Amino acid sequence: MADFVMEAKHVYKTYGYKKTKLEKNPNQQNCVNAASIVEAVKDVSIKIKKGDIKLIFGPSGSGKSTFLRCMAMLEIPDKGEIYLGDECLTKPGVDLNKARARIGFVFQHIYLFRHLTALGNVELALRQVLKLPKEEARKRALAALAEVKVLDCINKYPSQMSGGQAQRVGIARAIARNPDIILLDEPTSALDPELTGEVIDTLRDLAREGTTMLIVSHEMPFAREVADEMIFYDEGTIVETGPPSLFFNAPNTDRAKKFMTRIINRTTKE
Amino acid sequence: MDVWQQLIFIVEGVPLTLSISILSFLIGIALGLPLAFIRVYEKEVGFIVDAYEKIFRGIPEIVLLLLFYFGLGPFFPIPFGNAFFVAAFVLGLRSGANQSQIYRGAIRGVGDEQILAGTSIGLSKWRSIWHIMIPQVLNFSTPGLGSEYALLIKDSAYVYVIGLAELMTRAIQLKSIPPGDVVTPFVIAAALYVALTFPIAFWLDRWGNKRKKKLGL
Amino acid sequence: MFEFLLNPVYQGWLIQGLLLTVEITLFGVLIGLGLGTLLAIGDIYGKKPLKAAIALYVEIFRGSPLFVQLFLAVYTVPAILNIQIDHGVLAFLVFGLNSAGYQKGYMKGAMETILDDQMQAGQSVGMSKVQTLRHVILPQAYRIVIPSWTNEFCSLTKSTATLAFVGFLDLVGAGRSILINNMQILPVWIVVGLIYLAWITGFSKIMDIIYEKKKIPGIELFMQS
Repeated sequence: MADFVMEAKHVYKTYGYKKTKLEKNPNQQNCVNAASIVEAVKDVSIKIKKGDIKLIFGPSGSGKSTFLRCMAMLEIPDKGEIYLGDECLTKPGVDLNKARARIGFVFQHIYLFRHLTALGNVELALRQVLKLPKEEARKRALAALAEVKVLDCINKYPSQMSGGQAQRVGIARAIARNPDIILLDEPTSALDPELTGEVIDTLRDLAREGTTMLIVSHEMPFAREVADEMIFYDEGTIVETGPPSLFFNAPNTDRAKKFMTRIINRTTKE
Repeated sequence: MDVWQQLIFIVEGVPLTLSISILSFLIGIALGLPLAFIRVYEKEVGFIVDAYEKIFRGIPEIVLLLLFYFGLGPFFPIPFGNAFFVAAFVLGLRSGANQSQIYRGAIRGVGDEQILAGTSIGLSKWRSIWHIMIPQVLNFSTPGLGSEYALLIKDSAYVYVIGLAELMTRAIQLKSIPPGDVVTPFVIAAALYVALTFPIAFWLDRWGNKRKKKLGL
Repeated sequence: MFEFLLNPVYQGWLIQGLLLTVEITLFGVLIGLGLGTLLAIGDIYGKKPLKAAIALYVEIFRGSPLFVQLFLAVYTVPAILNIQIDHGVLAFLVFGLNSAGYQKGYMKGAMETILDDQMQAGQSVGMSKVQTLRHVILPQAYRIVIPSWTNEFCSLTKSTATLAFVGFLDLVGAGRSILINNMQILPVWIVVGLIYLAWITGFSKIMDIIYEKKKIPGIELFMQS
């Protein structure tokens, strides 16, 4: 039995156009356009135990989302290793679909299946991935939808739901398989401010039940309440790690200090 | 006939193919553009436009050609006794029906606010349409018009049934010259049609990509 | 003028002609749909040589008239291969292959607009790419392209009028046969034209109903026009 539910070791991920040449300048034919390369993840390591709730925060564009996608192997890291339990997902030949079935993922922009109702969205993976019989799949889907309190719109299509309802269905879709861990990529940032509350409530419920979660979020009051550990992420790497009390009182690094001041000011103004 | 002679014989039909398709395309613009605006802005008579579109999109070009040339030609030798006129007329009317739809989509895409903006500076409704809408609508419909023109080049092959000696007719004529070559003429004809439509398809692709980039897609 | 319509022999020809048109069109649209979907997937996921082959296929079938393709299929191909193939089979095939050239474009366009986020969502719940294609991407893409099928169906139906010129008794063939005995040229072509018009209009209506039935809120018809 592995000690950790999930683990990332020295993960790197770079975007960009390394191979493109600067066409307009004939003197620099083979020169790489340095500005077009984004090092979204640079040597990031993280360990998550069962029941852990970790929260990643940091400036936008710093690569947090990319790192989270790498954890779910929705994007393949350039270098480094991702472990799910004992299994190394970055080794060639691993059945990533099977691995992803054990990881729940919640998208910032929700990404529900547009041609399916709320129920259909949650059922699909239960039927096609876990190969559950029809009744069993329905039962578990309904249970998941009940847990996030959206039973009133199980027959609605994504376009007929409010953003908050849709995101809760997205969460139900992620938890219905009883995954080992749930990764949430800014689950509230695409929602109208008055709708974030219902999603936060849902997450709070999950936290209370001991769900293992890795969350990218800027919801500071929520973080303070539920996070075991907060991770300040900037310019593609982890700058500082610690319990919420550390960040809310006196972060060690200047960068984290500045960011916290800014974000707390913003929250109190609201 | 050797291959070379066959090729020359068929290529001699290209000018006729092109003149039929260009002429019917122009007739199509002249019909389609006003009809599209009438359909959108004069709702009371829209049903006439609908009926016209349904008829010319719902009856095969071949049947229309036969109907006008052999059916009406004997009664009205002017103009329907003239095969070239019938060809341009039928394909033009058909294209007008298609183009009316293309422009209608474009009008919706450009949006009513533009006419409102026009009337706000004191132009009448139809003057705003002429000065403000039409330039934008034409720009918006460019890809649709490109494929419409390619379609007309292909559909001009149907005029074989009224005996105009364009590309297709010439290929079929070669088949009936003993010993009846059924390979070379049709391969040549197909290649010529692809060559005639390829520049349009190529340009449409480029145009589409450019537009996508412009819109940041 | 229209008394030829009372002749049971002529009636039989017209009905037979209509049936041939209907069969070939429906068959062509269906083959085109299946093959067109495969071509679209190949064009999106395939390697360069496959993409080039698909582009060539599309260019040939979309770049030349179905009329020429029909002559090629019925006369040229058997002559080159030096075999006898039933003309009916060849005609069915050429309509399907032609339609696939067009439908590939509709499918690819529809798939590309839904591919990015929906593929990620499918994979995030543990489905493979193939599963996601089958259960998420294609069901959405098909709904988007239904209006294009109606157009495709109309243009294929109209193209079946070429069948008479390679020896089939389609509607135009029926008209020509009637004209051998009865010189009422104008009425005959009016009747033939109206039969086509009725079939195309009726079937388009059916497709509209299917589209309304299958419509899902939020999957809009941006492919139309």
